[in-house]
Amino acid sequence: MSFSKQPIATAIAAALMLISPATQASDAEADALDLVSAPEPDKKAPDATTRLFAEAALGSVSLRHGAGSRSLRRASIDVYHASRLSPAWRMTLSDRLDHLHPTSLMQGSDTVNSLREAYLGWDGDDGKTAVEFGRINLRQGPAYGFNPTDFFRDGASRVLTSVNPFSIRENRLGTVMLRVQHLWDGGALSLALAPKLANGPSANGLSLDLGATNNRNRSLLSFSRQFAGNLNMQALLYKEPGLRTQLGASLTALIGNATVAHAEWSNAEEPSLASRSSGRPDPVRSGNRVAAGLTYTTPGKLSLTAELHSNSFAAGESAWAAGSGAAERGMYLLTAEQRQDSAARRGALLYVTQKDLAGIRNLALAGFVRFNIGDHSRLHWAEVRYQWRQTDLALQWQLSTGQALSQYGLMPERQSIQILATHHFQ
Amino acid sequence: MKAWSLAFLGALLLPLLAYAAPDPQDLLRASDAIRNPGRPFSVKVTLTDFEGGKQVDTSALVSYSRAQEEGGQFASLIRFVLPARDTGKLILRNGDDLWFYDPNTKASVRLSPQQRLMGQASNGDVVTVNLAKDYTATLLAEEDVLDGERRTRKAYKLGLKASTAASTYATVELWVDAENNRPLKGRFFAESGRLLKTVFYRRFESHLGRERPTETVIIDGLSPKSVTLMRYSDFATPPIPQAWFQREYLARFQPE
Repeated sequence: MSFSKQPIATAIAAALMLISPATQASDAEADALDLVSAPEPDKKAPDATTRLFAEAALGSVSLRHGAGSRSLRRASIDVYHASRLSPAWRMTLSDRLDHLHPTSLMQGSDTVNSLREAYLGWDGDDGKTAVEFGRINLRQGPAYGFNPTDFFRDGASRVLTSVNPFSIRENRLGTVMLRVQHLWDGGALSLALAPKLANGPSANGLSLDLGATNNRNRSLLSFSRQFAGNLNMQALLYKEPGLRTQLGASLTALIGNATVAHAEWSNAEEPSLASRSSGRPDPVRSGNRVAAGLTYTTPGKLSLTAELHSNSFAAGESAWAAGSGAAERGMYLLTAEQRQDSAARRGALLYVTQKDLAGIRNLALAGFVRFNIGDHSRLHWAEVRYQWRQTDLALQWQLSTGQALSQYGLMPERQSIQILATHHFQ
Repeated sequence: MKAWSLAFLGALLLPLLAYAAPDPQDLLRASDAIRNPGRPFSVKVTLTDFEGGKQVDTSALVSYSRAQEEGGQFASLIRFVLPARDTGKLILRNGDDLWFYDPNTKASVRLSPQQRLMGQASNGDVVTVNLAKDYTATLLAEEDVLDGERRTRKAYKLGLKASTAASTYATVELWVDAENNRPLKGRFFAESGRLLKTVFYRRFESHLGRERPTETVIIDGLSPKSVTLMRYSDFATPPIPQAWFQREYLARFQPE
């Protein structure tokens, strides 16, 4: 009589595991414990922060009104550097050079340099007080698609390389200002004073273009407060000559484990957007700008943001129906774009990101749809991006739909597709 | 006779008292103190990601941490060093207050805990966290456990249950070395009971006054072939003021 050795060995192994399971590593644990960490990149983490990347884009756009299609080409170099000069002093420099075909509507030149930031900062001993002077990109507001409290947005976008709101922010010019900030536990107060330095924007692509951002004296006082970890609010007062002080407020709140809510509001007394674009005199009137939304993230790495926008200074349906022609409406939309204002009286944005798309590591999807609720036109944009260690490859698609004289139906570009390659230097 | 009886009883009980199980919450606190220095500190972290044993990614960050006066939990400011596309980006965590900041766009975006779990910073909380502040410990067993160096160690197995809403994990099983209170191994669970991470603490070296783990092996609970090694170096105690740990400071942050 003989016994097979295999079942006995299995039984003994199982019994051993029952007796003392913690001393038995699973196969996955045993494999993991064999792994060896990559070498450290440097002996010491760098004190300065430097980011430098080059980007090339190639694509095609199909135009409306039987204008056929044309190619798109762009090459960009983007640099950001921040460092501490001494325990008290620090400096920041941020610049971008774009070579575009066709040329940007905002600039007559095909080569545009954007000095986004160049400023010095001084920090007090306790880290609570800071003074900054120079060109500073002071950006306010938590919303994705429209920021009513971002008072320095007007004229700040120099080159539009994508309709994606996050890309628009990357190309934004700072405003020359003196800024003082004081922090305490859970709160902050800051004052920004921006002087007039020029009369208007420059068409020279290599100009510092101080006239785009500093064409009038402006000041902004902001107060921030953190409440109990899951609620943060900000209140703002903004003043420029000839207009009443504008009020603004924003808040973000965490709702549960997976949802973030955000809202921002500003109130102003100013001319309508249509009168600004047409130059026709229009008495100033009081109105509100509002953006509010929710971001929900699933365990599957899908993030979905839904946002509603309202701008009582934008032209309503009745104003559109009053008979303005395509040229006038085009000028209106261009003015809204330059001012980074909402051209729609009521709009909505749906923004989606998916990391590890289709289970593929480093492959990501981003996309959005913008709606003009009044005229039912829509702007769609989507991007699939794969990231290697230093290089990204992305495919972007854009489509505008709507009736002939609607906000997005009036865009000259009906559909575009482009491929982008970005290399990040280490 | 009575005195002799008492002395005899005492002699019998003495060894029992010596072997009485320690207070599990004290054990947890002692284990926390080994991972986390008792003062504000910074540490450089090199992360290496593996899939099926193959290295697929590396990144590096510097974490600046400070225990908060209220509650005693750590707040952390994480500054990305590598890869190059992420250099200078920041993540701030102060309890439920979570922010991502990109110096290029000047945008500070509030994150939900679910969003945080999507990125590399999700592993930060198995490193710089005072578990004793957020979890209630019970002693589950005294048993032998295989540590990160593949040695069998006598350990206390603690069961941790979240005691605050800010806790990332609902329950944790933590093995603490019976000889020296070192954290050896942890299993981190979601509320559903799903295993999220298995963690080994290893390569103990002397930093900031005591032996601390300088490497953590993190095995994904859902996909055990996904492993992250976190290597700690350059422990330091620079000035880390409380004012750093709020959204408004992020745009100003530039370490010396």
